[in-house]
Amino acid sequence: MTNAVKQVVIVGGGSAGWLTASILAAEHSVSSLQNPIRITLIESSDIPTIGVGEGTWPSMRDTLQQIGISETTFLNECDASFKQGSKFINWRSSTGDSYFHPFSLPESFNQLNLAEHWLPYKNEVPFDQAVCFQDALCNAQLAPKQISTPEYNFIANYGYHLDAGKFAPLLKSHCTEKLGVMHIDDNVQDVRLTSNGDVASVFTEKHGEITGDLFIDCSGLHSLLIDKALKVPFVSCKEVLFNDRALAVQVPYQHPDDNINSATHSTAVDNGWIWDIGLQSRRGIGHVYSSDFCTKEQAFDALSRYVSDTSNCDINKLTVRELQINPGYREKFWHKNVVAIGMSAGFIEPLEASAIALIELSAKFIRDQFPQNRAVMDVIAKRFNKKFHQRWQQIIDFLKLHYVLSERDDSKYWRAATSTETLSQTLRDKLLLWQYQTPYLYDSFETEELFPAASYQYIYYGLKGKTAFNPSQKWHAEHAKAKALFQQNQQKRNQLQQQLEPNRVLLNKIKQYGLTTI
Amino acid sequence: MAKFELVNNIAHKNIKVNTKASAQFGDNVWFALTFPDEFRAIQNQYPIFFQKNSETGQFMPVALMGVKQNENLFLTDDGWDGYIPATIKRHPFAIGHQQQNQGGQTELTRVLTIDMESPRVNETQGEALFLEYGGNSDYLDQMADLMEAIHHGVEKSAHFIETLLGYELIEQFTLDVTLNDGSQNQMLGFYTINEDKLAALSDEQTLNLVKLGYLQAIYFIIASHGNIAELVKRKNKLLGL
Repeated sequence: MTNAVKQVVIVGGGSAGWLTASILAAEHSVSSLQNPIRITLIESSDIPTIGVGEGTWPSMRDTLQQIGISETTFLNECDASFKQGSKFINWRSSTGDSYFHPFSLPESFNQLNLAEHWLPYKNEVPFDQAVCFQDALCNAQLAPKQISTPEYNFIANYGYHLDAGKFAPLLKSHCTEKLGVMHIDDNVQDVRLTSNGDVASVFTEKHGEITGDLFIDCSGLHSLLIDKALKVPFVSCKEVLFNDRALAVQVPYQHPDDNINSATHSTAVDNGWIWDIGLQSRRGIGHVYSSDFCTKEQAFDALSRYVSDTSNCDINKLTVRELQINPGYREKFWHKNVVAIGMSAGFIEPLEASAIALIELSAKFIRDQFPQNRAVMDVIAKRFNKKFHQRWQQIIDFLKLHYVLSERDDSKYWRAATSTETLSQTLRDKLLLWQYQTPYLYDSFETEELFPAASYQYIYYGLKGKTAFNPSQKWHAEHAKAKALFQQNQQKRNQLQQQLEPNRVLLNKIKQYGLTTI
Repeated sequence: MAKFELVNNIAHKNIKVNTKASAQFGDNVWFALTFPDEFRAIQNQYPIFFQKNSETGQFMPVALMGVKQNENLFLTDDGWDGYIPATIKRHPFAIGHQQQNQGGQTELTRVLTIDMESPRVNETQGEALFLEYGGNSDYLDQMADLMEAIHHGVEKSAHFIETLLGYELIEQFTLDVTLNDGSQNQMLGFYTINEDKLAALSDEQTLNLVKLGYLQAIYFIIASHGNIAELVKRKNKLLGL
């Protein structure tokens, strides 16, 4: 049981497989190490990747930098664009209201809680506009940086929109050419277990038996190791978040030089919501819905209306793909010597683009807590499972928050989505607490939150959640400073709108000149 | 707005260029674009740094002549006190590109153009472009040569910078200027040679820089920083400190 962990075998490619391979290899496989770990990735070119997950969090900037991919290369090769947050349209009511969840924190967030100071002005100015500048940049479709800003640095915090079908091949060539990852193109046909229930090896069609010390299951919905071999049960969360289908379509721009949105647009409709993501060459649009409340035909009609309202395309000439979502996650993500990452670990509607972020977090956990031998692996697995269970619960609560505060009751779907019956105790507690105090750093400390307290503020107040205004002594002492910060934010809004160029202009310049590294 | 015309001895027969250095002609600039071929002349008088072109994000070497915008400490009532950088001296000329048909093939050739909206351009004062019967004046020939030198110099400069970036020899630098009254000016957005990285280059890399003539250019930059003291002296004098 004290066998050293020397060989990592990743089953499955796609964003999950290649991103995990990159993150592990950049740290553990470099040839300058005395005992580099060998990483092998088995991917079947017969099985198409699903290729959803076109939005990332700002954490992707760090990830790409750490694995050694130039931002210029990434942007150019993955048809990628800048994402500065999400715009939620028609979520509170169906009459065209909207709010932002930007990636930038409220002004001076860690020094002073502006939300408390905004409360008396809540009817005069929306929260996102009062405390942050990024909604203005997004509405003007501006880039978050300038051509002279070095790679991965920013003026306004950002992540990316990307073409997952191009991202995996970029990571793959980086892994195999620069990071020493071994790539085997083959089908996994069988799995051999040891007497203690570990995975000893996988059998492939052409390459025979491949052994390993640690196996990572990135086989997506097939879940070859975690489900089929180790039979770890799946925990459904369909009771709480019941969207289980998506119709996705790629829509070309009307003109190749049309500007590109700086945020994911998420528009609530009768039986779900529609994502709209702007890449360099096309938009990715999809309707997430619940099969309990509407038929595929009704969903198609809603998607079709959205496409014709926002482009000159006829949806009947485009290819619409149907995706099934089984909302939920594994009872254990790390069991024995197998870790599930990506869709084999779980999947949930992409309302806050958590899929790729969870892959990054999982791979980084393994990278940082890499088990040196089998004996220590169970301890690390226990911690991993605890941490990621907590994270899944936080994601589910956070997504549910987007629904539960809505005032929509224009359809059966919305009446069910806003029902408080299925709320978790943790979310109930938060909603009770926030009636009397604003979400702030205490919330994050309490539970090691995945989402910063700022994110809760943006959603809670974006949906016009109420907090009683009860100014304390501290409030009075700080209010003059807070007012100055509100002013400062307004100045920043104006200044940055002057300084920054449209997304399309900057992306074209990056194609022509590239970003500098310093 | 600038209005560039192809220089020719018919339309511009009587055109003269006032070559006096003056703020009214736009010489009140605090830096000028330069290039390695010019470093020897520049480093006698001005500090050389890199800045990023705000339109392209690309690094470019510049000669510094002031410590704030619109301030040229070498511009006096009697003209420019010292060497005038080529990219300043070129005004009001620029290089244009013209398609020319040569033996059935279209080629893009460089042509000399003049900005007819420049306040330097007139018919009474300064250097004539053409001689009485249409030949080029010495001045015009000199300016044509200067434009060619700038063109090739800037082209080579791009490779120089690419090489330096490849060896990680460029680093960010904040220029702190303290005047005699104790006031401090911090100038951001400058880059210079990373001397630690320079010292740590391999023999092969150093030899490569020598062969390309870049090592000399690098030392011109480093040596030029002694001129910051001269800038400060002039600034103190200007303020009567």
